[in-house]
Amino acid sequence: MPSLRSIRGRIKSVKNTRQITKAMEMVASAKMRKAQMRVRDTRPYAEKILELMKRLSAIESNIPNIFFKTRPVTTIGIILVSTDRGLCGPINFNVFRQVFRFMADRPGVRFEFVVIGKKGQDFLRRSGLKGIGSISGIKDRGEIEEILPATQVAIEEFQKERWDEVWIFYTHFESTLSQKPKMQKLLPIGSDLGDGKTNAASPFLGEYLYEPDTKDILEVLVPRYFESIVFQRVMENFASEYSARMMAMRNATSNAKEVIYQMTLVYNKLRQAAITREISEIASGADAVQQG
Amino acid sequence: MGFILSLVTQERELISEEVDFIKANGVDGEFGVLPGHTPFITLLDPGELVVRKGDSLYAYYVSGGVAEVLPKSVVILANTVEREDEIDEQMARKARHNAEEALKQPITESERQTYLLDLKRETVRLSIVARRRSGQHPGQLTEEDGGGPFHI
Repeated sequence: MPSLRSIRGRIKSVKNTRQITKAMEMVASAKMRKAQMRVRDTRPYAEKILELMKRLSAIESNIPNIFFKTRPVTTIGIILVSTDRGLCGPINFNVFRQVFRFMADRPGVRFEFVVIGKKGQDFLRRSGLKGIGSISGIKDRGEIEEILPATQVAIEEFQKERWDEVWIFYTHFESTLSQKPKMQKLLPIGSDLGDGKTNAASPFLGEYLYEPDTKDILEVLVPRYFESIVFQRVMENFASEYSARMMAMRNATSNAKEVIYQMTLVYNKLRQAAITREISEIASGADAVQQG
Repeated sequence: MGFILSLVTQERELISEEVDFIKANGVDGEFGVLPGHTPFITLLDPGELVVRKGDSLYAYYVSGGVAEVLPKSVVILANTVEREDEIDEQMARKARHNAEEALKQPITESERQTYLLDLKRETVRLSIVARRRSGQHPGQLTEEDGGGPFHI
């Protein structure tokens, strides 16, 4: 039987924990609301530019641009989006598991990583995978400039033909209760971009007119496409992180409540037992005195 | 019957609805779009975007980007957009003044280009504001507009 004092101590410490998880839940939920709005605001641009790239690649078979050329795949570059901090449920783990599955499906291919977020760096180190660049400490209200180092590395590697494909892995925000790990192909640009659904059928027959010309437009459009998609995915990841953290902390808080309830029961029982025992001791002591 | 206009920036979606006419500033000059336009893609210069929907006209300052025109839809992927009431006139005036002063100094060619761009940008901003204050409809034709495809 644990002593009264030790139970009292444990109740106190669980109450402290509950306070902390409660506070973290509230912080996460405030951040979550902002991050969810940001996701809603940044999605249209990303979708529109993705559709445009798909249409372009579907319409013109011979685009004079390296980013549209499919090459035999020997090396795949992966942009891995993870969180900086933990305590956010399984979202990082789920993404890493998907990376492993993706790699297992492609034997004989080399993989190199550009990582966004500290958890992803840890993952690479633990798994002995090759990272060629990483950034962390991105702010959830951050600007697109913060992720440019990562996108530039990826674009350069592809341009130098060291990477033959570029994929992005991140956690897609569906709702506060549901976040899904996702992988999407970003380069080379073809009709199988994004989720791989080829639904971007040409809305017209024939070709576009380009002003000033195809080359100039693509020079602007391709980096813009790449950056804005990566940026938007990082925003998705933030919304997922805060949602997952809020749910994890909410569960932790309610678990703490349950534990406190159970321990309080035990505590009260023990206390009552101690009182009863003391009374019976006094009573039997008094009896002994009377009889004696 | 109009066409669907999507005006989006990295940060937000400003318009996604059916409109009747737009006028924008491409790198090769101003262009107007009515429903059924030939498909084309163009880069945008800093300039005014005028949108007509029914009897209403809206003006936006677009800092640049890409426009994709299709017969039944137009997508404008803009770098930044300001609604006419979001333009800070004092800031624009000051920035234009700075650029003008800087251009008078002996500066390198690349600096000159930057300031010329500044000057152009602020001038467009201020002209949008000025027109708004004069109560003139953004779509009303003035002499300098020179007619063009824009008939209400």
